[in-house]
Amino acid sequence: MLRDITLGQYYPGESFIHKLDPRIKILATFIYIIALFLVDTFIQYGWVLIFLGIIIAVSKVPLRFMLKGLKPLLIIIVLTFSINIFMTPGEVLYALGPLKITKEGVYQAFFMGSRLILLIIGSSVLTLTTKPINLTDGIEKLLNPFKKIGVPAHELAMMMTIALRFIPTLLEETDKIMKAQMARGADFESGNLFKRAKSLIPLLVPLFISAFRRAEELAMAMEARCYRGGENRTRMHEIAFQSKDIVAFIIVFLFLAIVLITNNL
Amino acid sequence: MPIKVENLIHIYNENSPYETIALDHINVEIQDGDFVGIIGHTGSGKSTFIQHLNGLLKPKSGKIYIDDTDITDKKIKAAEIRRKVGLVFQYPEYQLFEETVYKDVAFGPKNLGLEDIEVERRVKDAIQMVGLDYEDIKDKSPFDLSGGQKRRAAIAGVIAMKPQVLILDEPTAGLDPKGHKEILQIIKNMHVKEKNTILLVSHNMGDIAELADKIIVMEKGKIVLTGTPQEVYEKADYIEKIGLGLPPAMMLMRTLKQRGKEVKTNIMTIDEAEEQIINLIRSR
Repeated sequence: MLRDITLGQYYPGESFIHKLDPRIKILATFIYIIALFLVDTFIQYGWVLIFLGIIIAVSKVPLRFMLKGLKPLLIIIVLTFSINIFMTPGEVLYALGPLKITKEGVYQAFFMGSRLILLIIGSSVLTLTTKPINLTDGIEKLLNPFKKIGVPAHELAMMMTIALRFIPTLLEETDKIMKAQMARGADFESGNLFKRAKSLIPLLVPLFISAFRRAEELAMAMEARCYRGGENRTRMHEIAFQSKDIVAFIIVFLFLAIVLITNNL
Repeated sequence: MPIKVENLIHIYNENSPYETIALDHINVEIQDGDFVGIIGHTGSGKSTFIQHLNGLLKPKSGKIYIDDTDITDKKIKAAEIRRKVGLVFQYPEYQLFEETVYKDVAFGPKNLGLEDIEVERRVKDAIQMVGLDYEDIKDKSPFDLSGGQKRRAAIAGVIAMKPQVLILDEPTAGLDPKGHKEILQIIKNMHVKEKNTILLVSHNMGDIAELADKIIVMEKGKIVLTGTPQEVYEKADYIEKIGLGLPPAMMLMRTLKQRGKEVKTNIMTIDEAEEQIINLIRSR
């Protein structure tokens, strides 16, 4: 049940997309998101869809995994959709008491809904094809120029690495404690909201204790190995741009150009 | 309350690159009052198997009958299964959460919907059974206890539910030799007193050989050997081949035999080994 979270989950593979420099993938994702927000017609969504489709096909990650990432965000999508459909003023198509569905509203709802879905799937391509470690390495490298103005690039990247590293551990722990309490007759699934919240105590108390214990142990282990930040650190695997990264970058810019050219502005 | 498992299959992360077959056609029968030892390497499917027995995991296919009811049936209420089958997880002290030991041990019995008087009686019994001083400990915070005491308090939390089948997953992991011995003694005493069925998961051959009257050996999701300790250890060479050790007493006897001494090698316990050695000395 807890293992269904795709966001931040890596799908192993050897594809072109997998092998790209993480920095390129992060920047490309940014450009993709910017392009997505520049889009103002449905035809352009067609372009985005084709682009995304090709990328997913090249990455060889099954579509199922991409769509899985939508599940936890379903509420947000539904909420956006319904707010747009009911709250946009314009030509009334159907009225249900104070709630009015307008022509503009339907258009707006589908438009925003598509944007959100494309946004989520697009960004899960990044996390599905990049190992978390590479991802944070990429972020660190990208933030490096800002070190001079006091951005703690290494520390930020390290914090993210640790956080990402502990997601599966904590999920496993949650699963284990949940099962242990269920074996003692705890019921996490029935009752009203208040009762359910209360039933989480036997889960949350041990989980917090173990999270703190782990944090303390990790800090001690790091100190024992003389960790003192990123200064003078060398890496076993230095990330470096290759020709395929340049190809990828050009393709992404072509995509941005198509969106800009076909734009109504 | 006999347990019967038929063709149990469980697959983790099905249809993903991480797919692993955790249980592969498990068939086993356990009789009332049996003390069963389950041994196998990490990842051999022991933990997955025992979690099926009280309905925490659902199999991909196969049936599990407890008291002739099929617990893989979706209509069976989970609470019903857990009333009958108690499960003590590995490092159970990490599940302690209440303010006092009393409240923590009472968590299980209360979930069974028992009356307060009965809950109190059971909590008291359980705490005493694990060798803790009830009056002294009941109002203490479980987090103030020592490691060994925490472990016992956590085990008491499951014992207090009085399950007819009690499953313990490596209950002695990470304890010092003294704590190790004490926990095993507690389990043994309880088995004698309550006459319940016990499944003990361990990779300590010595413990299993001392305590169990039936052994299940698991390897790569399959049951590869099952029977009485005598029957299982007849295949001592096979057990060594799959990388599981033999009970220390048996290893000693085998070494003596190799050196040409007249001893029996199908020895399980330290007591039997002692007898053999005394006989050997006397016969000279």
